[in-house]
Amino acid sequence: MEFKTHISVKNLNLWYGGQQALNDISIDIPDKKVTAIIGPSGCGKSTFLKSLNRLIDLQDDVKVNGQVLVDGENIYDPHVEITHLRKKIGLLFQRPQALPMSIYDNVAYGPRIHGTKHRKDLDGIVERYLKLSGLWDEVKDRLQGPASKLSIGQQQRLCLARSLAIEPEVILGDEPTSALDPISAEHIEQRFLELKKQYTIILVTHSLRQAQRLADYVIFFYLGNIVEHGPAAEFFRNPKDAKTQAYINGRFIEGRKADKELDLKGTVCPANFVKAKLALEGLDEGKVLRIIVDYEPAVSELPRAMEYEGHKVLEVKRLSATDWEIVIQRL
Amino acid sequence: MDKRKLEESFFKGVMLFSTFVVVGSLLTIIATIFIKGLPALDLNMLIQTPKGGYYLGKEGGILNAILGSIILGFGSVVLAFLVCVPIVFYINLYRKKKSRFAWLVRFVLDVLWGIPSIVYGAFGFTLMVFFGLRASLLAGIVTVGLLIIPIMARSMDEVLKTVPMELKEVPLALGSTRLETSKVVFRQALPGILTAVLIAFGRGISDAAAVLFTAGFTDYLPYSLFKPVATLPLSVFFQLGTPFPEVQERGYASAFVLTVLILVISILARVISGRFTKNIVK
Repeated sequence: MEFKTHISVKNLNLWYGGQQALNDISIDIPDKKVTAIIGPSGCGKSTFLKSLNRLIDLQDDVKVNGQVLVDGENIYDPHVEITHLRKKIGLLFQRPQALPMSIYDNVAYGPRIHGTKHRKDLDGIVERYLKLSGLWDEVKDRLQGPASKLSIGQQQRLCLARSLAIEPEVILGDEPTSALDPISAEHIEQRFLELKKQYTIILVTHSLRQAQRLADYVIFFYLGNIVEHGPAAEFFRNPKDAKTQAYINGRFIEGRKADKELDLKGTVCPANFVKAKLALEGLDEGKVLRIIVDYEPAVSELPRAMEYEGHKVLEVKRLSATDWEIVIQRL
Repeated sequence: MDKRKLEESFFKGVMLFSTFVVVGSLLTIIATIFIKGLPALDLNMLIQTPKGGYYLGKEGGILNAILGSIILGFGSVVLAFLVCVPIVFYINLYRKKKSRFAWLVRFVLDVLWGIPSIVYGAFGFTLMVFFGLRASLLAGIVTVGLLIIPIMARSMDEVLKTVPMELKEVPLALGSTRLETSKVVFRQALPGILTAVLIAFGRGISDAAAVLFTAGFTDYLPYSLFKPVATLPLSVFFQLGTPFPEVQERGYASAFVLTVLILVISILARVISGRFTKNIVK
């Protein structure tokens, strides 16, 4: 699949103090699609997102080199007018942050600072974008009321309307649904699906399911590197890198939770094989067993044996100096 | 278990005692000036100027000092505000968190905060000599302004530090300049900023040493920036310093007026700031 792009990152490196947070990132973000950035916490996802509108400049001790081209212009060029750049790129935060003003003024804030002064124009903008973010019907009678009185889900939609009101080309979302209740989160997701026809959307998300629901394109970050990226369908069906596979599988387990726990601490081979085998056979097909072991050889041998028995090993993880966790699915 | 319980009740006791000491001394002070000053307080004290120089006539009032203090207080607060807001917004919004410059500014302000007001008075006096100025309202405003700048700036600084980072980032992400962002942050921090102004005002209006050399003293009502002006703390000082019990009593009455004045302004400012808190994000 070929994508058009107007955000193109070339050899982007970023350091916090002496610590490198982004390592030679090069990627083209597809236009008018939802791009999901996934990866474990602290792997540079949010840093990358904030480097796209230079909000990263606010952090202490940041050093950046490389290029981020937006519409062909390197945004780290000293001549770049940063207010213009940010007008092209809307940002949604993890926790919705209303401005200390009325609902109306929140949406009108952006257009006002960018020069729209007439009340009539502003009225139109406020109505249009509140409708687009699906909040209009809930707030049309109290536009002059304080934005802080809205529920947190409503506030996030207000923030969306506020970002849209500056007429950006790109919308960045830094885990925009993670602080919301499921229904509000679904509202926001719905908006993204509608908005991607007109906007390029880049979402950082912790939820693989959300990435699967929304994304057309997926980028997997790990320790400041892009491990793998590609069209979503392909990415999830057939991840190429071992780390990606582990991450995708690992995350599924967390969502599912083990159906049964088995403590095999202090048990050695082959007794632990037998116990694990019996426990798995006691489960229904597709159920998941979580085994804790502290016997070093079991960590490699037990999964192999269970694979041989025809079950699927989902994850092997070290829990502490002595304990390991093995997650196996009954097939 | 018993030891933990004992520990708990011991420290609870310490906390209660400390609270009692603070509240108790405040109440004692108020009671003292109330009991000692109230008999001497009458309407004439509030609406007349002193009869007989330096309040020694035991008659007339302290209107000169009331008006003088209010004008000097407002003047110095306005002056300090004009200096503090730019400093504080600069170190909080234009500089990064770990900025060395911001650290230096805060350090300097903390040192300035600790300098006794009599030193400010002396400094103001040398400035006056340098500019060829006599003891005057203007010199008083400048000196008290200098005295309260660190207090106001550091209080505002603490307020701005509590504004969530996201609130500073949102306007910027929408394409605001830092100045436009500062305006948004100002709105959010307004109640806290007013409190900071009040703390500074209370400190400024009640300081005697800073105005001793600089604002001077007069029996007349304030009418010019370049003439000496009477202030309440100095009236209290002079009146209590006389050997006459009647005049001393009037000193307590003056102290009472000063306290009530600060109280009234505090309450007024809270009522006014309450009107601005409608849109504050919590």
